[in-house]
Amino acid sequence: MNAGGATVVDQVVFWVLAVLTTFFAGFTITRRNPVTAVMSLVATFFCLAGIYASLSAHFLAVIQVLVYAGAIMVLFIFVIMILNREEVAPFSMRPLRLLGVLGGIYLLAKLVDVVAVGLPEAAPGVAPDGFGTVAAIGEVLFRDFLFPFEAISVLLLVAIVGGVVVSRSHQKEVAAVEAADYRHQIQELAHHDYPGEPEAPAEGHH
Amino acid sequence: MTFNLRLIPLLPFAGAAILMLFGRKWKRDTVLLVAAGAIAGSCLVAFDAFFTALPGAASKGGLHDVVGTWMAAGSLKIDLALRLDALSGLLCLIITFVGFLIHIYSSGYMEHDPDYARFFAYLNLFCGAMLVLVLGDSLPVMFIGWEGVGLCSYLLIGFWYTSSANADAGKKAFITNRIGDLGFLIGMFLLYQFTGSLNIPEITAAASGGGALMQTLFPGTIFAAPVAFWAALFLFIGATGKSAQIPLYVWLPDAMAGPTPVSALIHAATMVTAGVYMVARMHAVYLLTPGAMAIVACVGALTALFAAIIGFAQNDFKKVLAYSTISQLGFMFAGVGTANFGAGVFHLFTHAFFKAGLFLCAGSVMHAMGGSGDITIMGGLRKKVPWTHGVFLVCWLAICGVPFFSGFFSKDSIIAGAFGTEIFGEGLAFIGKAVGVVLMLAALGTAFYMSRLYFLVFSGSETRASDEIKRHIHESPGAMVGPLVVLAVGAALGGFIGLPGGLFDHPEWNLLADRLAPVLGPEMELSRTTEIGFMVASVVLALGGIGLAYLFYGGGYREPSRKFAAAAPRFVRLVQDKFRIDELYGLLIIRPIKRLAKAVYFVVDRILIDKVLVEGSAALVDVLARVARAVQGGDVQRYMAVFTIGAAGIVYLATRPSVPDVLKVTVSGLSVDVDARRGSKPASRVQEYSFDFDDDGKPEVTGAAPAAHHAYPRAGTYTVRVQVKDPNWGTRTSLKQKVEVR
Amino acid sequence: MPTTYYLVLSFVLFLIGTAGVLLRRNALIALMGIELQLNGGNLAMLAFSRELGDLKGHVFAFFIIALAAAEAAVGLAILVALFRGRQTVNLDEATLMKR
Repeated sequence: MNAGGATVVDQVVFWVLAVLTTFFAGFTITRRNPVTAVMSLVATFFCLAGIYASLSAHFLAVIQVLVYAGAIMVLFIFVIMILNREEVAPFSMRPLRLLGVLGGIYLLAKLVDVVAVGLPEAAPGVAPDGFGTVAAIGEVLFRDFLFPFEAISVLLLVAIVGGVVVSRSHQKEVAAVEAADYRHQIQELAHHDYPGEPEAPAEGHH
Repeated sequence: MTFNLRLIPLLPFAGAAILMLFGRKWKRDTVLLVAAGAIAGSCLVAFDAFFTALPGAASKGGLHDVVGTWMAAGSLKIDLALRLDALSGLLCLIITFVGFLIHIYSSGYMEHDPDYARFFAYLNLFCGAMLVLVLGDSLPVMFIGWEGVGLCSYLLIGFWYTSSANADAGKKAFITNRIGDLGFLIGMFLLYQFTGSLNIPEITAAASGGGALMQTLFPGTIFAAPVAFWAALFLFIGATGKSAQIPLYVWLPDAMAGPTPVSALIHAATMVTAGVYMVARMHAVYLLTPGAMAIVACVGALTALFAAIIGFAQNDFKKVLAYSTISQLGFMFAGVGTANFGAGVFHLFTHAFFKAGLFLCAGSVMHAMGGSGDITIMGGLRKKVPWTHGVFLVCWLAICGVPFFSGFFSKDSIIAGAFGTEIFGEGLAFIGKAVGVVLMLAALGTAFYMSRLYFLVFSGSETRASDEIKRHIHESPGAMVGPLVVLAVGAALGGFIGLPGGLFDHPEWNLLADRLAPVLGPEMELSRTTEIGFMVASVVLALGGIGLAYLFYGGGYREPSRKFAAAAPRFVRLVQDKFRIDELYGLLIIRPIKRLAKAVYFVVDRILIDKVLVEGSAALVDVLARVARAVQGGDVQRYMAVFTIGAAGIVYLATRPSVPDVLKVTVSGLSVDVDARRGSKPASRVQEYSFDFDDDGKPEVTGAAPAAHHAYPRAGTYTVRVQVKDPNWGTRTSLKQKVEVR
Repeated sequence: MPTTYYLVLSFVLFLIGTAGVLLRRNALIALMGIELQLNGGNLAMLAFSRELGDLKGHVFAFFIIALAAAEAAVGLAILVALFRGRQTVNLDEATLMKR
């Protein structure tokens, strides 16, 4: 079959990668051992990167491997090392959740319907020159999407702060609350005496 | 012609960097070697450039060196370029040579100071910045140097920063300079706007060519004046900050809190002359606006007189010299303001020598007096510090304008030039004459207060200090005396390079004006009688001032001075308090700003930011979180399941075809109308309807119309089946209805 | 390849991810399911971007990856904190927030 002008190689690549992706994804969610799950997820990401490359999204393919497989999965593995517990009963087949999965399948069927009916011949043409390269994406990113780009960096900052705050040990949490109280006290003392010189704080050193 | 000019500022910068990184661990000798070596190297390059390379290139705009492009944005292109012509070359020589002498002097003066390396690092940094200022080929590069020397001034004035008075003095200098810098920037912007360039030769060409800078700004209002006027005025405001003229001079007396070599280098010989240099550099712009020049000249003359008067009553050695500097700078500005650029630069040159010499003598004397600069306890030092006395004598005579010391020639050329200037045109020629008269009074005053200083410190037979101090009075070490002597020689003989041309009918004997002519234009021509007349007048003023001071203070405090002090004590105190200008500024400017700052702190910082924005947003998040929390059950997967089910439900509801609960069938005889709309409005989506009127699996009517009409061949009971298909979502629903036809 | 095929693949991935989130007790596996969902979305984004020749899809996918990184970091931090308290990552037992 020659759908939408794709060559045999394109088709073989797509089907092989698609099957592999699905297979590994399924593998991921069905493993008992978290490490195996992570490894198959990494494999999924690699296959996905291949698919991205076949979609002329070269930059994103590399980013997928670098960030997803390289950074996020490493983070997962670190956490697994800390928390490694195999589950006795890995699957939780409660009725509501099964219903949810069924709902998801229904969604899938519906959406397949749509794409099958609505866009059967939507085949991409020749990719424009430099499509998906770093330079091209950079241009769009820094011209049209400069504000979201900056906002994402704020988001990452929030994530960092959130991560640090959430992962404080109980001791540190208590210490942080105490330090904040202390600072508040000093501020109150200082403000009472404005515009003169602030009083020396109640405790010795700060 | 290209020349390796970048070495000139680069060597001191390198010296500063090395000393800042490593100086603290090195021995004093090494530090001095690096610092003085850097500046000496710079001096040698400057000499080479000025005396061997420049003469050939003078007519073609001098030597230049382009280090690289600084910024290129749109039509604005600024290169990091240096240019050495006669004017900047002369100043380079002054800066490097006097700077070198002061480095040597500092090795003795700062010998016991623990921050030895830091001092020399800052000195080198300053020299580098000043050289960039002078050599800059464009206004932004000059501004780099301008700001750089301001920074170094701050660092060096507050060198002994552990005392808050010193730190305050440094702050005051920096802030006052900054106010002036705003003027400089505005002037720069105006020039760029109207000439399209910030490069000095290009601006000069545009100015000489007329046109561009003569357009009127703010026409029709009271501020209407050519662009050149406003640009020149704003640039001059920058100069009043840097060169301590009215109204921004107030930082200079306070700056005496820094070490004496700093005062000598920065606040006498080099940094404060940057303003004069700038005006001379931009002379093409200034020549277009006699109005601005009049302002420059008048401010200069007034400052000269005003500062001289304040100097009459100061009791601190360095403060007298500080006001003297302000006064002499006034002379320089009066010189350039009356289109006598060469004379102003000449006075800059001679002033560098004798004022630096005076300051270094002050350091020497203070060193002898155990660190005190109070002249009320000095006296009779002539025999106790003979070398210092000798140098001071020479420099004193130079600054008073005694013939044939350097100050005589330079001051005279300024005063004569003021009277003889033609820049103001016929009707306003009185400005020149008025400026000249004020300058003459200032010269008289200069002679008076400097002589007062000399007599109170050196003359007389006994020192008025305590015995403890008297025991320690000693001459300074050789490292300090050596540079003093060199400066004295310069102060004595330096005037001869600027012999006025009119005097001897040999204009080429005026070496300085000759050299500067390609840059600043020819020397002002005055007849021999005028020259001699002014010389005589200068001598009279000088001797008169000295004589009057001798009357009051020869050999110590004498009767006339005591009687005067007794007769007008309030006036004396007013002058001593420098006419309370600092207090005036404090009242008018600083207090309102402080109050405004407090108000802003209270409203914006405490209330708006702390309470509203920070605590407020936290409180808002808290409230919203409380509300959101009420909906949570705790089981994350439950949420996801509900989400998926909900999504599925929504998709189902959205994609099922719009069909009625019951088909609307209208029978009329053998025909039947079937309406498959939901409600009475058509469906909002395109749907495919297929009507099967006899339920045989073969629809009779298919299409987009929701209604169909059919005529049955025979009466009977039929089942109508309608199928509604949504072509986009691929969903279908089917309805059927029995119908009876008769 | 027609865009449709990629879309279907992305839906399938999304579904597998959802199933993982819903049906697994181990919180880590659930987080991995979320990553799968995001990747499904990414794939759809890129497929459309390729079809329309518009790079905005790539930029969006880039942002989604950044977002996934941030979310994974915070999620794992929460997990670690949870583990410290109750020594388990069993999601069925993480129902403290219930009122």
